[in-house]
Amino acid sequence: MFRPSTDTDLKRSSATVLVLALVAESPRHGYEIGKLIESRSGGAITFNMASLYPLLYRIERRGWISGDWRERAGERRRRFYRITPEGRKVLAAQRGLWRGFVRALDQVVRFEEH
Amino acid sequence: MLRRLRSTLAALLRRTRFEHDMADEIRFHLEARTSDLIAAGVDPKEAARRARIEFGSMERYREACRDARGIRPIDDLRADIAYAVRVLRRAPGFAVVATLSLALGIGANALVFSVVNALVLRPLPIEHPEQVFTVQSDGDIASQSYPNYRDLRDRNQTLAGLAAYRISPVSLEQGATAVREWGYLATGNYFDVLGIEPVVGRFFHQADDLAPGVSPYIVLSYDQWQARFGGSRDVAGTSVRVNGRPYTIIGVAPPGFRGTELFYQPAFWIPMMMQPLVEPGNPWLDRRQTFNLILVGRLKRGVSASQAETDLNTIAAQLTRDYPTINAGMRLRLTQPGLFGDMFGGPVRAFAIAVLALAGLVLLTACANLAGLLAARASDRRREVAIRMAIGAGRGRVLRQMLTESMVLATAGGIAGAVLAALGARGLTAWHAPVDLPIQFDIIVDGRVLLFSFVVTMAAGALFGLLPALHASRSDPQSSLKGEGSTRFARRRWPVRDVLVAVQVALCFVLVAGCVLAVLGLQRSVTTPLGFEPDDAAIASVDLGLAGYDQARAAAFRRRAVAMLSGVPGVKTAAFANSVPLSIDQSTTTVYPDVPSGNPRADRRSVIYYQVSPRFFDAIGTRLLEGRGFDWNEDPHVPGRAVVNQTFAKQILRGAPSIGSHFRYAASGPPIEVIGIVEDARYRSLTESPQPVVFIPMLQSPNLTTVFVVRSARPARQMAAEMRRVLATLDPSLPVYDAESLHDMLGLALFPMRAAAVALSLFGLLAIALATSGLHGLVSYAVARRTHEIGIRIAIGAGARDVLAAVLTRTAWLLGIGAVLGAGTALLSGRLLATIVSDVSPHDPVVLMATAALLVLVGFVSCWAPARRALRVSPVTALRTE
Repeated sequence: MFRPSTDTDLKRSSATVLVLALVAESPRHGYEIGKLIESRSGGAITFNMASLYPLLYRIERRGWISGDWRERAGERRRRFYRITPEGRKVLAAQRGLWRGFVRALDQVVRFEEH
Repeated sequence: MLRRLRSTLAALLRRTRFEHDMADEIRFHLEARTSDLIAAGVDPKEAARRARIEFGSMERYREACRDARGIRPIDDLRADIAYAVRVLRRAPGFAVVATLSLALGIGANALVFSVVNALVLRPLPIEHPEQVFTVQSDGDIASQSYPNYRDLRDRNQTLAGLAAYRISPVSLEQGATAVREWGYLATGNYFDVLGIEPVVGRFFHQADDLAPGVSPYIVLSYDQWQARFGGSRDVAGTSVRVNGRPYTIIGVAPPGFRGTELFYQPAFWIPMMMQPLVEPGNPWLDRRQTFNLILVGRLKRGVSASQAETDLNTIAAQLTRDYPTINAGMRLRLTQPGLFGDMFGGPVRAFAIAVLALAGLVLLTACANLAGLLAARASDRRREVAIRMAIGAGRGRVLRQMLTESMVLATAGGIAGAVLAALGARGLTAWHAPVDLPIQFDIIVDGRVLLFSFVVTMAAGALFGLLPALHASRSDPQSSLKGEGSTRFARRRWPVRDVLVAVQVALCFVLVAGCVLAVLGLQRSVTTPLGFEPDDAAIASVDLGLAGYDQARAAAFRRRAVAMLSGVPGVKTAAFANSVPLSIDQSTTTVYPDVPSGNPRADRRSVIYYQVSPRFFDAIGTRLLEGRGFDWNEDPHVPGRAVVNQTFAKQILRGAPSIGSHFRYAASGPPIEVIGIVEDARYRSLTESPQPVVFIPMLQSPNLTTVFVVRSARPARQMAAEMRRVLATLDPSLPVYDAESLHDMLGLALFPMRAAAVALSLFGLLAIALATSGLHGLVSYAVARRTHEIGIRIAIGAGARDVLAAVLTRTAWLLGIGAVLGAGTALLSGRLLATIVSDVSPHDPVVLMATAALLVLVGFVSCWAPARRALRVSPVTALRTE
């Protein structure tokens, strides 16, 4: 069976759009982002947590997301990532790119025929 | 890009916080995962364990995060630097020698650059300096007459303002005595054109400078205000006596503003229209033929320099048409202000750049020296490098580590060099030229100098570090660890460090040749016949005009002074003139041939003139070749006699039988009869080509500036003091200046030569020191490495000669090759050296021989100790070390 979770190339290229799409909905912390990717893809896409955080830092460094610490009494403080206006533009562009790519791929390989 | 840099910087600056945040984020992650697992029914202990296992290597995670934040390369760098410092600490001797030689090399460059910066690069401290230019006539003199200036100012369309100024001395009264101070006569619009605001009071403006003699105002320089009035703000509106008359102090210039000349420290500014009173006895505001003003203009907004030049030259053409004899051939151009336009600017820039090039050579020598030492160290460190490579360091990593080491050295040298340069700059600024003019440079180590030093430091580090580092990183770990590397290295015909020694010797040769040239040039200029005899002559100057004398009183004063001076025991001759050759004050006039050739432009000649008393030629020691000099019985009412020099006779009298022939001061003026011819001398500089000169009797054409010249049997300096005393008895209120031996006065003419000789000798000494240490290092290293081999040679019967041959042959070759390369370079760079040192050519065999001899000496000195060590090698100990 094809398992995208093992396909690192595919994962690496789609990681940015995955993160941006999730934090565009609402601010989320790193653990939640990892969990959501896994649950929404039905377990097909999983991230090694040790590489998720560097990814978040890298995207933050580009200015597409920004992280803020939130503290609540009696709880460990946690870092929430929110999308920036520039990140929204990137997300829109990436969505278009992937949609077009998937459609084009479908034209060639006909996902539903088999 | 900028954002990433900012984020990296932020992460670096808040390093602890970053690490802390990172740890918190992991902890939260692990806790969240653990509670999820517990919620799914896993035992709490097991849940925590699984969370950690899922997460993976903590260290890898941290590295990846640092990498993502862009701070890992900096971490690596920090580690490299720490390692480099450790390595260098283990070789303190090497570190000290390397830092010192770099400090000297970088310091020399930074200092020379700070001079270039002060004289060429740094703009004047005025508003929009890029719009301000000197308006200069073609030819070497940057001056205009006042009527010409007025026409240029009023008729041009392209300048927002055109001001004129002149450097002038006055007698400024302080208590009972008067001091001679130097400042500027400046037109009313001067400060407005330059865009300067006063710190106290106001400046004068166009409206204050309309009619001669009606605006006795004076603006003080900041330094003068501090020195004379203790910085009191009440000074504005008070009065000070200038040349015996009251002037109102109206304002004080801001600190750092010294007018438009970079080398001059003025005490004051006085409106131009006061000229007849500032320079009494010589009014020239209406004289179109008196070219003695410097013009400085500011471009109108949107006008280019070339547009302004075209505009000004249209006016120049009109002025030439209107006054053909005076303005023939007038062409104007805009030049950078600061050094009398291009008059001094050109030579100063050429000199500064040539010296900078030589300083660059010193640094190159230092780099070659260090590269040699590093290469030797690198071959000793092959094992260490091999081990690092064997345990996984890539070639790039090793290269980076070695380069970091050289950068650490370079940085230490650079910092020490910048400190040396700052000290040198302070010394140069505090130094006053040995002349009456307040010549002072403002040399500081500013941001530009520091940037230059930084770039030079990094370039030096890369230059001396790269080659040895490449070499080391290319080593093959296997063979190095087996101990093969070193032998293979030794077998190469010309190892890198040998090449470097040859290069160093060559550079040293060029520098030493320059040094020898400068010293020879200086010696020659001291011994060249000057056309007068400075030995046993003393001078003393007075400005009778500044003291309020009129011509009749001045003439009487001079007669009495000469009579009294002649009576001083030991005095052979006493005389006076308006100026003497090779002093700073040289005046020119225009002359025309007796019979016009029909081409006024070719007929008009500018010549230096001196107004002299009878017996002046005896006093100064110039030989009279034909005819006679002037005498005291010359009738002041019968003008028209002159003595000329040989070049004047040749060029202006054009071979006519000299005595009794004529020339004129104006194309239509009366003929002047030549009554004597004197030998040529040097008048403006020691290196000038022969100049036509005319001597006019002072009795007929008086000048209130007077230099007394006395030739005596007494020591000249003592005589100068005696002259000061005699003149003071005649008029105690008269400031006497420049009382000195004629030899001391020549210090000014010799100054460029002396400066060149000092600079070049310092560079030469540095180069010799570097070459000595380089060669010494090479030979010591060779002896140390070959101790074993030498031991065997001695054991099987080699004599002292064989041992020395084994050790020194290569060094001798390197010296020879380096010297030949250096001689070639010196010959090729002759033009560069010629800009600094005139009269001597690098093609001179004496120069080359002297340099070669010096290098042989250097070779001998540097090989002496290691060669002795080689001879003392005991075969037993040498073989036992194996």
